Amino acid sequence: MENSPTLESLQAALDAQQAVFEMHQAMNVEVFYWWCTAIMLMIHAGFLAYEMGASRSKNALAAGIKNILAIALIIPAFYLFGWWIYNAFPTGFVPIEAAAALPWSTSMGPDVQDMGTGIFWAAFALFGATTGSILSGAVIERIRVSAFLILTIFLGGVVWIMAGAWGWHPDGWLLTKFGYHDVGASGVVHAVAGFFTLGVLMNLGARKGKFINGVPQIISPHSLPMTLIGLMMIIFGFFGFLGGCIIFNGGETGWTTIYGTPTNLSAFAFNTLMGFAGGIIGCYIATRDPFWTMSGGLVGIISVAAGLDIYSPSLAFIIAVCTGLVAVQFAKFLEKRGIDDAVGAVSVHGFTGVVAVVLVGVFAGGTPNAEGMPAISFVGQFVGAIVMGLMGFVPGYGLSFLLKKANSLRVPEACEDIGIDEVELLAKPYPEGRVPAMADLTTSDVPNKLANSET
Amino acid sequence: MGSSITTWENVSAYFTFADNPFALVLFAIGTAAIIVGLIISIIRHENAAFEKIK
Repeated sequence: MENSPTLESLQAALDAQQAVFEMHQAMNVEVFYWWCTAIMLMIHAGFLAYEMGASRSKNALAAGIKNILAIALIIPAFYLFGWWIYNAFPTGFVPIEAAAALPWSTSMGPDVQDMGTGIFWAAFALFGATTGSILSGAVIERIRVSAFLILTIFLGGVVWIMAGAWGWHPDGWLLTKFGYHDVGASGVVHAVAGFFTLGVLMNLGARKGKFINGVPQIISPHSLPMTLIGLMMIIFGFFGFLGGCIIFNGGETGWTTIYGTPTNLSAFAFNTLMGFAGGIIGCYIATRDPFWTMSGGLVGIISVAAGLDIYSPSLAFIIAVCTGLVAVQFAKFLEKRGIDDAVGAVSVHGFTGVVAVVLVGVFAGGTPNAEGMPAISFVGQFVGAIVMGLMGFVPGYGLSFLLKKANSLRVPEACEDIGIDEVELLAKPYPEGRVPAMADLTTSDVPNKLANSET
Repeated sequence: MGSSITTWENVSAYFTFADNPFALVLFAIGTAAIIVGLIISIIRHENAAFEKIK
């Protein structure tokens, strides 16, 4: 009888088990976002391959170096002010108290009691790096590396995260006033980055030789296979990105969206894959072009990302196919108006991101949000789409305009002729000979659908 | 020199200089200065490179 458990000893054992369970649950949260962050780095490996491949060989390394430096600068920038912006500006342009997110706060470093801040900061920093890299491909072969870095720090460390505070924060005014729904960041990342890029391209101008008497010319990638592999790597990385968009809660709650509504990875899995497949098919039908077909995978995922948690998978597939068809037309529309977007980023990210946000209002209007928030509506999504477009375009146009006026935006014409690699990097990507696919500026027998060669 | 703790009992933030806000501000300023300095150095490098091909 002496060894019989007492009520107190049973309670103590139960408490100990509970403490172990809670510690392991907190560790699982960390593990989940750790691997999401790691997988997101594959997006950057993909951007690296795809932008180097999309460049002519004389600019391949310059395209790569600006990509690498972008990640290296956006991460500390996001530590210095990006995380604080997210926490301080959910209500608009007036900051609220968020001292714990400042870089000299004790919350912003190793802390035995805090198993959340660092891992969420890391995921958001990689979201920022992805956003900044969306600009990168569009401006290849003529932007100064310094100008690009200034622009990408501003985009990845300030602009998108301000939009994120408004539309992707539990207290963001777009959510609290309009019921804005954008779980996979179609608006806060892709629309913002795409329209920021459009603003920059308007000031940067086209690559030399891209337009002759206003007619778009073909500037072929020096390695189309490298671009295709890079795009597939970006798709892989998207699974980390989208995994990072879902909230892994402790306790009994389980998975929720960033807006606090119930969801799970199964929902994300259905629609991510169906969107991916649909986008490829849509862009293939529209172009028969390998680069656009693979870009279609991105278009498809982005087109359904805003409603990833609520779409029926077949609807997601149809949305992705249709958006793929239209996104290609939007790229042609821009090109006919003299915009030289070397990789179609404005269309793939900006146009598709805006469409994705609006379509949630079309197909999912009336879906309730968390208690106390307005339901999803067409008007709310439409307002959100306009805000995201402007949030990207205005700063992108404004800052690139200032750089242009300072004669600091574009490399000199002679540098463009010789190639940025040789002039600025003193390096050659293929020093032992010509690459088989060395680009020819003036002629190509291979039609490029995007370049309107069929017209 | 920079340790902010003397024991692991009841520890919260334990990183170097966590107990010294002045040092943390200085490190943040240093980080910002490196970013700005790198961009300035790239601008100077570009200007010098472009000058050579004029």
